Amino acid sequence: MTGRPVPRPTPLSEPFWEAARRGELVIPHCPACGLRFFVPEPACPGCMSGDWRYEASAGRGAVYSVTVVHRAPGPGFDAPFALAVVDLDDGGTLLTHVDAADPDDVVIGMRVRVDFRPFTDRITLPYFVPENPAR
Amino acid sequence: MAATLAATSSARDGEAVNGEPVNGRRPVVVGVHATEQALSLPHRDAMDLALEAVSGAIADAGLTPADIDGAQVDWPGPGGVPGEGSSWARALGRDLRWTSDSMLDNAGSRGLLKAAAAVQAGYADTVVVGGCKLVSRGAGPVGAGVPLEFADVWGSYVVAQFALVAARHMHEYGTTSRQLAEVAATIRNNGTTNPEAMMYGRGPYTADDVLASRMVATPFHLLDCCIVGEGGAALVVTTAERARGLPHPPIAVLGGAMEYHQAAYANPALHREVGQLGRDAAARAYAMAGIGAHDVDVFSLYDPNSFEIIRQLEILGLCGEGEGGPLAASGSIAVGGKHPVNPDGGCLSYAWNGTQQMTLKVVEAVRQLRGTAVHQIADAELAVVGNAGSGAQHYEMSVLGRIR
Repeated sequence: MTGRPVPRPTPLSEPFWEAARRGELVIPHCPACGLRFFVPEPACPGCMSGDWRYEASAGRGAVYSVTVVHRAPGPGFDAPFALAVVDLDDGGTLLTHVDAADPDDVVIGMRVRVDFRPFTDRITLPYFVPENPAR
Repeated sequence: MAATLAATSSARDGEAVNGEPVNGRRPVVVGVHATEQALSLPHRDAMDLALEAVSGAIADAGLTPADIDGAQVDWPGPGGVPGEGSSWARALGRDLRWTSDSMLDNAGSRGLLKAAAAVQAGYADTVVVGGCKLVSRGAGPVGAGVPLEFADVWGSYVVAQFALVAARHMHEYGTTSRQLAEVAATIRNNGTTNPEAMMYGRGPYTADDVLASRMVATPFHLLDCCIVGEGGAALVVTTAERARGLPHPPIAVLGGAMEYHQAAYANPALHREVGQLGRDAAARAYAMAGIGAHDVDVFSLYDPNSFEIIRQLEILGLCGEGEGGPLAASGSIAVGGKHPVNPDGGCLSYAWNGTQQMTLKVVEAVRQLRGTAVHQIADAELAVVGNAGSGAQHYEMSVLGRIR
């Protein structure tokens, strides 16, 4: 059995992971059409330009949707966890985990901020946490 | 429906009123076969199941392998070249005029429509579609099958991707877990009394049973989710002219359409992008067939989970956006209801076997239109087959009809 899958950076994604190691969230931005998108792709999904570049994100946003996964797809996950889609305020949408005190506390519309956590020597993951943690 | 089919039946063979073939080559389904379907078939392998599916569909059509000039069928091996469709030429004992190497082109509505297009255009006369690929053997929860850099690390898999769409639908429209559970119970109970179903004899289930089963990924309980198993299936498409004198009434491919938002699972499925995925395809397919949603007698729809049926009731035009929950929970999708869905028990109870579950949806639709289904819808003349779904970000639909 293998553990939790480790992302394998590609030439497209390497700058994302490099920035993550520094604790910075960067998102592909297309100067030709202005779109900020995620995941990094060979062509901008707005205008097919290959000339996009990474730009910094403030790492704040809102939960667009969330599922609390009780049955993980394999070993290496600490279920239950809140698998969420986060819309960043400054553009781009990410799949992530929102780590709240209780995964059931994570709801659609919740304000969240990025929280980088080392995973392997090479990979640091952009988790999200509630912007205003429950007291 | 009566008016539509009266028009159809008054047409001469090869002169379809609906989906009018320009050259008179009207595609029809003349043979279907489903192998045994089970959680595990340790005494079978994929090649053996694919051979049975193909031979069975050819025999059901009243044809012989020499009559087949096109094969859109998985070739798992051993022997031949695994994945190369032309491997079927030697098995069928003749040169082929049409083949396909892609697993998804060899199943369900997509496979059927490509075969129908080939037959209608004259690239081939008689095409077999189907096969078997054992995806469940030794695997964990079903995923994309290839590493996905920004999805796998978060523990994303098929159930969770669909759950993200369902959760947002519930948030926006007030769709409830009980409505989901009603769908699961209704379709599962069709399988309870279908001797071919993997879950035959299990149940019956109430919505409360579904809600009491353990949570997999909110909002989906275990009984909201489809089963995973093994098995194969195939069908044979030819022209209405060639179908004359064959043992079963030909089932016409009246219309069809496909819709793809993006590749499956690399990006999360977003309700705002895929919640209504398939609506455009459905409108095109109905227009091609010259029918409306309410003319359809029976629906054979992808049910990887209970919610995907609620979503499809909307995109298929049976209700407005966001109204699928109440419609599904009203009894309308039961065998005796207004819009019966998956009388065979669907993927929730009859079978899910990887890609060929899509072909099983066609098999059930054809049996319904022949009048030979296990849970027969009385006088079924028009059927819709819908494959794939919102989590996977694609939809393929076909409209099938009886010719009298």
